[in-house]
Amino acid sequence: MSNLPRFNIVHSLKTSSYFLVAALCLLVAGDAHGKAASFADEIALSGSHSTDEIAADEKPEFNARKVIVDHVLDAYDWHLFDIGKREFSIPLPVILLYEGRMYVFLSSRFDHGYSAYKGFRVSKEGHNKGRAIRVLDDGITPDPEASFIYDFSITKNVLAVFISSVLLCLVFVKIGRRYKDADIYSTPKGLPAFFEPLILFVRDQIALLAIDRKHYKKFMPYLLTVFFFILLNNLLGLVPFFPGGANVTGSISVTFVLAMFTFFTTHWFANKTYWQHIFNMPGVPMFLKFPIPILPVIEIVGAFIKPFVLMIRLFANITAGHMVILSLTALIFVLGGVSIILGYLISPLTVLFLIFLNFLKILVAFLQAYIFTLFSAFFFGMAVPDEHH
Amino acid sequence: MELLMPGLGLVFWMTVAFGFVLLILKKYAWAPILNVLHERENKLAQSFSDAKRIEQEISQLAVLRTEKLAEAEEKHKEIVSKAQIDAERIIEEAREKARQEARLINEKADEMVEAYKQKAMREVRSQLSALSLDIAEKVLLEEFSDKQRNARYVNKLLDEVVMN
Repeated sequence: MSNLPRFNIVHSLKTSSYFLVAALCLLVAGDAHGKAASFADEIALSGSHSTDEIAADEKPEFNARKVIVDHVLDAYDWHLFDIGKREFSIPLPVILLYEGRMYVFLSSRFDHGYSAYKGFRVSKEGHNKGRAIRVLDDGITPDPEASFIYDFSITKNVLAVFISSVLLCLVFVKIGRRYKDADIYSTPKGLPAFFEPLILFVRDQIALLAIDRKHYKKFMPYLLTVFFFILLNNLLGLVPFFPGGANVTGSISVTFVLAMFTFFTTHWFANKTYWQHIFNMPGVPMFLKFPIPILPVIEIVGAFIKPFVLMIRLFANITAGHMVILSLTALIFVLGGVSIILGYLISPLTVLFLIFLNFLKILVAFLQAYIFTLFSAFFFGMAVPDEHH
Repeated sequence: MELLMPGLGLVFWMTVAFGFVLLILKKYAWAPILNVLHERENKLAQSFSDAKRIEQEISQLAVLRTEKLAEAEEKHKEIVSKAQIDAERIIEEAREKARQEARLINEKADEMVEAYKQKAMREVRSQLSALSLDIAEKVLLEEFSDKQRNARYVNKLLDEVVMN
């Protein structure tokens, strides 16, 4: 009975995969090149600035760890490229609420993090690294008595989230409109032909797999949104230039929000049986529940651990992927620092390996979107168990 | 460590953006898309089951048709044989009736013939007696007219008596 539509899916997936591979081959080539170039500039830059920051004792050294972390972290401006020693980036609005006052200015005031503005400065180290901190009048020393800064800046990741949100809305609202007018017997063409198999995949292989047939419908909008949101941002994260390159799904804040959405959706729709299983697990001896509620505590902790694991998994996978790519790129410069010949020798090998890794990351992009959605679906499925069970 | 610190701003904006995306897509994308997919599958499933059902019905109808045909044949035979029997019976009955009627008519005719015969006999007898009386009268009269002969006869008779 369902053989017919399934044939279509396989067919369109095949066709679209050729396109995808071709497009990503181009990107991979650009990626390796772009990252290498920006590293080279960074070495030069860190050299030029080190004279006024660090005691100028010796030749500036390439600090792989610092560079990698800087690339993975969020930033106040969107770095595009460097020409010589000049950095070109898109300045983004910085919005800070500090002691009841609101400070709004463009991130170009920070001068790529080298100067302070209105008593704020981008922190260079510590757990606030890359974030605005309050500094003393000298513009360098952090203010030890500073209170909490409510930072609502439109950072690189925020802008990337906005861009991908708009992109998602544009694409899928357009598809939705096509479906509204379409004759339901017609085979999908164009955008729907590309996305329908994915939508069906989320429905049949994720939602219906994990959630009871009676309940799955109310979770579908969230599962689809979260799947395509993660997928799009994973893929955009692989694109080395604007509007890609932001480490959105590798940011703990973003995965935290996604996990919270899963958490609240789970408990918003959770039925009586779910709550009963948490507070009064049936079929378990009483001494596990009263007077010391061992089992309820375990269950409650479990309810929080589930989204926490979701958050960590997505963040770690994407960030680790970025880090591996960055580390391999950094290898060229580390070895180049030792001996220029060694650097040249290692670079073709590294680029080859980077190409392989980028392909791997395309797989990971799909895989992580799938896993996050699947696990969310499993949690929803657990929240709406069969009543008579 | 800095990697693991969620940023307030990003969390806030991400929540807002993702929430909006979720709401917008739910209303303008997922609802119509899932509806169409659902409907299409329903229609497909229905078409398949319809086809299956119709196929079954057709095969059932074929069976039914042969059954009905056989039944009709049977009935036809039955009717024909019954008609034959009926016809034979009716003919036999008619024959019987005719026979009876004929017998009745014969009997009646016999009776009538008898009655007529009796009547005729009676008439004949009465007429015969009258006629014979007439004849006798005439004969007697004739006989008495020839007086010589009568006298001779009487004499002869007397002779006989006397001789005796």
